[in-house]
Amino acid sequence: MNTLDVIGFVIQDGIWSALAATCFGILFNVPPKLLPGCAAAAAFGHGLRALLMQLGLDIEISTLLGSTVIGFISLYLSRRWHAPIPVFTLSAAVTMVPGVFAYRTMLAIIELSLGNADTANAAMIAASTNAVRTAMILGAIALGIAAPALLFNREPPVV
Amino acid sequence: MSQSTRSTNIKPELDYETLRDIIDLALWAGQLLLQNGAETARVEESVHRLGTALGAHWMDILVSPNAIMVTTTSGQEFRTKIRRVVAMGVNMQILAEVRTLVHQAERGQIDRAGTRERLTRLSRLKPQYNRWTVVVLVGLGCAAFSRLFGGDWPVFLVTFAAASVAQFVRQELQRRHFNSLIVVVVTSFFASLIGSSATFYNLSPQPQTAMIASVILLVPGIHLVNAMRDLVSGHLVTGMVRGVVGGMVSLGIALGLVMAMRLVGISGL
Repeated sequence: MNTLDVIGFVIQDGIWSALAATCFGILFNVPPKLLPGCAAAAAFGHGLRALLMQLGLDIEISTLLGSTVIGFISLYLSRRWHAPIPVFTLSAAVTMVPGVFAYRTMLAIIELSLGNADTANAAMIAASTNAVRTAMILGAIALGIAAPALLFNREPPVV
Repeated sequence: MSQSTRSTNIKPELDYETLRDIIDLALWAGQLLLQNGAETARVEESVHRLGTALGAHWMDILVSPNAIMVTTTSGQEFRTKIRRVVAMGVNMQILAEVRTLVHQAERGQIDRAGTRERLTRLSRLKPQYNRWTVVVLVGLGCAAFSRLFGGDWPVFLVTFAAASVAQFVRQELQRRHFNSLIVVVVTSFFASLIGSSATFYNLSPQPQTAMIASVILLVPGIHLVNAMRDLVSGHLVTGMVRGVVGGMVSLGIALGLVMAMRLVGISGL
């Protein structure tokens, strides 16, 4: 793909993830005036992930960097609009949930349960690699959106 | 405890009755937070800040997955109370409102009676969005996911239909107070049954994307992310319990998917 194609792809990705985050924000009962914040955090975070993956990085590293961006945008918005950070981080992070990998893990496990000796080896490998990737992506999301607190908010807890 | 003894000099000592009022209010706020998707550190901090803002010298909080225990202290006097936490859902509006309440209490803009009034109102809060709006928008959200997963327009439309119907099914089952895992399995079954029509009628080169995207509305993303946040911040018990809940919901989704795929007779790949 040339540069223009990549830019177009990333912009499209940002728009779809903003739409997804807004709709899931409504499912989570986010107050209407905070919804644009969820959309913006998701668009920049998921858009960055798409860009990095186009540039050839792994999905795990891209997710970590993308969700770190979500964490910082959410921190800024929460201070500006006096709202709790999870309103933005959780709605935006939903767009990064590794649904495809979890689905493939599950299909491979079902394949194993069918007891076909020819395909069992391939199914075992598919199940374990996809399960590990699902877990790593989830960990990357959680670390990324907690990054601002972990890096800068290091005072001893009040309790 | 150094902070506790220091603040004793500033705040007046409260009597036993006032402490009862404070512990009730702080525990109530904590219950609202834990039931609506706050991570454990936020629950602890908010309960402590609300209690001390309302006049207690110190608050000690124990958050367990299905109960909160608080001890409130003022001078030599103390009281302890437990409150059950029944369900773990997600409601961002309540998180936002409780945060505002804690900030107002810390600035002295709201007293105990005002706090009680506010918490009563929050407990009776109706959802802000009409249920049909949610049905349509959840469909749209999952359809947007199908685009993120690389689906084309036929997949987009199938996902929209499947996820909307699934959200409607979920609302109906939840209204009848079915067990939450049964709700997940049945909803996942209907979502993937309709989503599988893309594969059955061969509407697209990558029809399985419709099935994956249709069940996204059930994915316990908030439980899983909160589980990781709790584990990272050292709240291991609540973190593990949230992780187990997320895992069980995921298994429920898989069960519904498998039932639908066996019924339609497709392999899903």
